[in-house]
Amino acid sequence: MHEMSLVQGLLVQLGELAGEHGKEKVITVTMEIGPLSGVVIDSFEFAFDALAGESVLTRDAKLIVESPPPLYRCCGCGKEIRADRRPHSCPLCKETLITTEGSDDLLLLRVEME
Amino acid sequence: MCDACGCDLKPEESHDAKVIEVHQSLLAANTAMAAKNRAHIEAMGAVAINMISSPGSGKTTLLEKTIEALGDSLRIGVIEGDIETERDAERIRAKGVPVIQLTTGGACHLDAAQIHKGLHLLAREDGGDRLDILFIENVGNLVCPATFDLGEHHRMVMVSVPEGPDKPAKYPKAFHSSQLFVISKTDLLPYFDFSVDAAKAEALQLNPAIEVMDLSATSGEGFGQWLDHVRDLCSRG
Repeated sequence: MHEMSLVQGLLVQLGELAGEHGKEKVITVTMEIGPLSGVVIDSFEFAFDALAGESVLTRDAKLIVESPPPLYRCCGCGKEIRADRRPHSCPLCKETLITTEGSDDLLLLRVEME
Repeated sequence: MCDACGCDLKPEESHDAKVIEVHQSLLAANTAMAAKNRAHIEAMGAVAINMISSPGSGKTTLLEKTIEALGDSLRIGVIEGDIETERDAERIRAKGVPVIQLTTGGACHLDAAQIHKGLHLLAREDGGDRLDILFIENVGNLVCPATFDLGEHHRMVMVSVPEGPDKPAKYPKAFHSSQLFVISKTDLLPYFDFSVDAAKAEALQLNPAIEVMDLSATSGEGFGQWLDHVRDLCSRG
């Protein structure tokens, strides 16, 4: 459940952003959670619901999570493949060694505040 | 007119709402601290290995045997991470190398801020400020530790024979982010349905660059290649 500590970090960051922009209430928070980030989206949402209610700033905030499918790259021919699941082999050259490109980060994309 | 309260403000002005584009990683603070740790470890003359595995896969035993074999030729230091107790640190201390125990009080992983604190505590131990190699034994867990850069130079993931060969497919992040995959407790292979080749193949499919070795710290089988690996890391550092 490292999602709990990640959400705690997010809430600190939201507090700082609100201070910088002179806002008092967060309306929506949009996150991109890479499918290879090792973060369970359900757990992240659960942690957000549990922790956001503790402060006036985030009490009514809505969390929006985007999770685009990962990008794979064939080690043989270099073809890029975007797919929900790891392809067994490259559709072009049939190579089975396939690496991933990124898709492992947790990005705070944007915040709507008032 | 504003839909929410009926006031006269234009929609774009209503409630003074503002969208701020941030595009920043939630891990940015941890990553920045990890970079400081890496510089700190290098200033101590050391390279650091972050050891990730399930509870009971043999991290502490591997360290004990490694210190027995290399303790005279290398300056070894250890940071132990656990949810509770000093037990692992006591085992390592008995081998005569500087060690500190970080207890996370429930958290399932170490993060860069804890290691920052740990490095300062370690420096107070006899010989803890000049090292060739620093082993960081993470909290036993194949999931959460994989997300946090601690400032290590090298990450290893370990799976013991009783755990089964399917761990790479089930816990991909730990295998993606590691440079070394160790299969431990190979002295138990006769008693378990564990294919070393299948486990290696699964790991290599996830991470074609990962180095794989199998060993038993108890029987000593395969242990030489591990010691060579550690010596090699130190000479590269």
